[in-house]
Amino acid sequence: MSLPFTGSAALPALRATAATERDRRDRLEQEVVALFDQFREPLMRYLSSVGLTFADGEEVVQEIFLALFQHLERGKPRDNLRGWLFRVAHNLALKRHYRTRRELEARAGAKDLAVDPGPNPEDQMESNQTQRRLLAVVQALPLQDRKCLSLRAEGLRYREIAEVLGLSLGTVSLSLARSLARIARAAER
Amino acid sequence: MQHEDFHLSDQQILQDIDGELSTHEEKLVRAHLGECWKCRARRQELESAIGDFVRMHQQEFDAKLPPAAGPRALLKAQIAGLAATPNRNARRFAPPRRVAWELAAAICGVLVIGVFLALSGIGRQSQPHAHAVVISIPDSTLTPGATLLVSRRAVCSQENTKNKPVPTLVQRKVFEEYGIARADPRAYEVDYLITPALGGADDIHNLWPHSNSAAVWNAPVKDALEDRLREMVCDGTLDLTEAQREIANNWIAAYKKYFHTDKPLAER
Repeated sequence: MSLPFTGSAALPALRATAATERDRRDRLEQEVVALFDQFREPLMRYLSSVGLTFADGEEVVQEIFLALFQHLERGKPRDNLRGWLFRVAHNLALKRHYRTRRELEARAGAKDLAVDPGPNPEDQMESNQTQRRLLAVVQALPLQDRKCLSLRAEGLRYREIAEVLGLSLGTVSLSLARSLARIARAAER
Repeated sequence: MQHEDFHLSDQQILQDIDGELSTHEEKLVRAHLGECWKCRARRQELESAIGDFVRMHQQEFDAKLPPAAGPRALLKAQIAGLAATPNRNARRFAPPRRVAWELAAAICGVLVIGVFLALSGIGRQSQPHAHAVVISIPDSTLTPGATLLVSRRAVCSQENTKNKPVPTLVQRKVFEEYGIARADPRAYEVDYLITPALGGADDIHNLWPHSNSAAVWNAPVKDALEDRLREMVCDGTLDLTEAQREIANNWIAAYKKYFHTDKPLAER
């Protein structure tokens, strides 16, 4: 929201410029908020899959969208904003020391699943066991493989993933195939 | 690929599933899949691994994700904060970290008291003030007060009620708005009108320069009022929004009212 100018002292031309500028900012804000609504969840999912807590994830998401606002305000390129958002998310997540937190979360998460009561306890238990096994496999993957997987799950193409993570196309493709092979093996058991 | 001992790699199968093959490669891979059950079965296994992963990826997450309303409101407030900061490259207002993020989920919007004042045409243009002016009550057009919509419980469960320092750039902006840009910064303390301990926001509309030289109604007196109001809010004798309103309207009047006195009580 931008504040109106007093205007009394301003020349009409200046006032018109100010009004245009205000409109532009309002439109930009609306655009950024719409993108926030569209991408908060995917970004949070990605950040949490690479080990950030929800609290840290929310903070990073705020930073991302403020950066987006400034990026667009400076008239920077707006093609492939999805790739841009994930790239910034990746860089900001790197800055956080999350390894220990990830491990804590993983343990807490596994516990949550184990005690989660369901409408049909037996089915629930069985599906929980599979879930737990899958979760364990995914969490045992190297961080880079996990990142590739969750970016792909959020709909990014190989080229976009490669750009976000600074990898070659071949590395992305191999990483995904390797991870899915492990998941497939875990599901078989 | 026509040779019967030849099988596709996981990578090739996955690239096909993901539509990442060139037209030529795709043709070869499809031809092989057409004739090789083994590779087709492998394709299915990888497809179902994708399904498993996506389900887990979402289930693990969806039930736990806090609603978007609070973070959205915070984002809007921060964008507005950017607009109010003269230097776009300046450090933005950090989200109020003392209000735990778990509690931020309870935030369902950001209320800027006095938005109407602002919208009705009173801008934040500098107004001329004498340089050595003593300010013991904020200008309500410049500092109407701004709050986060936090619950009483959130406010009262904050352990650390010490205000964090206001960034120098923001302080300078406040000074400019009050027309005291060239005054000695040590003569003033940039203070929150509605203290964050009572749900006040990190927002320039909630900041004002309180003169250190104010002989009677000075910062320690206001701190005492804040402590008093917070106690009353937390023991349930005063409504949080009422406390915020009173302190934003006229903190000196609020002091007189809640301490039943016309002048500040002796230092506590």
